[in-house]
Amino acid sequence: MTDLLRVEALCAGYGQARVLDGISFAMKPGESLALLGRNGVGKSTLIRSLMGLTKRHSGSVFFGGADLSAASPTRRARAGLGWAPQERAMFPSLTVEEHLTTTARPGPWTLEKIYEVFPRLRERRLNMGDQLSGGEQQMVAIARALTTNPRLLLLDEPMEGLAPIIVQELAAVIGRLIREGGMAAIVVEQHARLALSMTERAMVLDRGRVVHESSSESLLRDSETLGRLVAVAA
Amino acid sequence: MTSVIGVLFDGLAYGSLLFLVAVGLSITMGLMNFINLAHGAFAMIGGYFSVWLTQKTGLPFLATLPFAFFGAGLAGLAAERLLFQRLYKASHLDQVLFTVGFVFSSIAAAHYFFGAGQQFVSTPGFLQGQLRVAGVDLGKYRLFLIAVVILLTIALHLMFAKTRFGAQVRASVDNQDAAAGLGVNVGLVFSLCFALGSGLAGLGGALGVEVLGLDPTFPLKYMVYFLLVVVVGGAGSLRGPLIAALILGVFDVAGKYFIPQAGAFIIYVLMIALLLAFPSGLGGRRA
Ligand SMILES: Nc1ncnc2c1ncn2[C@@H]1O[C@H](COP(=O)(O)OP(=O)(O)O)[C@@H](O)[C@H]1O
Ligand SMILES: [Mg+2]
Repeated sequence: MTDLLRVEALCAGYGQARVLDGISFAMKPGESLALLGRNGVGKSTLIRSLMGLTKRHSGSVFFGGADLSAASPTRRARAGLGWAPQERAMFPSLTVEEHLTTTARPGPWTLEKIYEVFPRLRERRLNMGDQLSGGEQQMVAIARALTTNPRLLLLDEPMEGLAPIIVQELAAVIGRLIREGGMAAIVVEQHARLALSMTERAMVLDRGRVVHESSSESLLRDSETLGRLVAVAA
Repeated sequence: MTSVIGVLFDGLAYGSLLFLVAVGLSITMGLMNFINLAHGAFAMIGGYFSVWLTQKTGLPFLATLPFAFFGAGLAGLAAERLLFQRLYKASHLDQVLFTVGFVFSSIAAAHYFFGAGQQFVSTPGFLQGQLRVAGVDLGKYRLFLIAVVILLTIALHLMFAKTRFGAQVRASVDNQDAAAGLGVNVGLVFSLCFALGSGLAGLGGALGVEVLGLDPTFPLKYMVYFLLVVVVGGAGSLRGPLIAALILGVFDVAGKYFIPQAGAFIIYVLMIALLLAFPSGLGGRRA
């Protein structure tokens, strides 16, 4: 099978500052990847670089066979990258339902299907983007990315700042999405074990470089390596 | 008493017109944080287009209004795509210098094609004269103006509040990166808003030939008024600029009627007071 995503020697950052220092990796359609690493190593910068929202110094990004290295964020999104940003990026002047319809594109993820998976959002559908709890914002960010019917879902710390009980609930939903949703996914997580338990492959970054690649299962069993590469909370 | 009501009425008509011209500026400043001092030039284009059409083709004034809207809108679209778009990432000083340059070019062009004199349009008979309502004489044309602006404001509100395009505009104003990263073509959204705003300004310019006058200095003469509407009202909203334009219109007319020697001084003081009381504008989301 050909690669869905191929990143080659990508160097990128903000202005002159280089954060990513030669990142290469590839993903097949439907594959899931846990993107791990301590705070500030460049995980979000990699996700933002896939979306075309950073300054690319060198290297390439191929997606679905097309060279998107210099493409605009709009084109990348339309090519099938579904982005749920770490900062959640709610639109204060849109209702929850508008978050789910304004950037929607045709595909299996209809509004009805979203409300089935996230019944909470149906209750909140008339709330504005700035009238939501942290967990609800996170659900909207994920659901909004799903309504674009992406081929690759990019979840940047979807559990950040949530109460443990909500983390469990949301993790179950995300795990199911990744296994049964048919799309590929990259999950950035501080809860390394959680991310590993729901993905097939794992990649660890340190200071803008890839320092470890393996199956999620083997990294999950190798507590020593995991502890060395990532701050493991639980 | 009747003079107070008359002045209030004239002020509301005048304010409605200011709102119609300036609302596009509010939208575009809210969306791209672009300082566009040349907005009045598109109002002038609409005005001259309407005058020129009535003179060349004999089309009645009312029938030229859609042409004023679309003509100014197309001119705005072209100017945005060819020129202004290059300045979104530039400093505010560069934006000011460039758009002021655009204003002076448009003044020179208007002068070249139409001469320095005031232009006139002949409004249809049924819009001339006064209508007596409850003992007060109200100008029919000003009633018509107010009605047109009310209808357009409702239409604009529905477009922004109810359509998918309107939601894309709001999303782009809220967070450009997130909107683009979810597939909204923010550049195109902005071009269309710019075209719409220019078209409304052009319509306002044509409707306003009777009220604001029309000569080549138009974009300079009213620049401060349009900016006041947006700065006091707040960029990126409809309600704020509407209220600001109506206040500005009423106080400007009232000041010139009751205290003519103070001239425009009254509205400047008023606007400074309003800005001190509402630093981020009456209805804006951003300072
Ligand atoms: N908008 C920005 N401008 C400049 N530097 C940034 C910006 N965002 C992140 N950085 C820097 O880039 C580095 C990587 O950050 P980030 O990708 O957010 O890390 P992670 O997501 O792995 O925690 C950090 O040193 C951070 O300070
Ligand atoms: Mg991050």
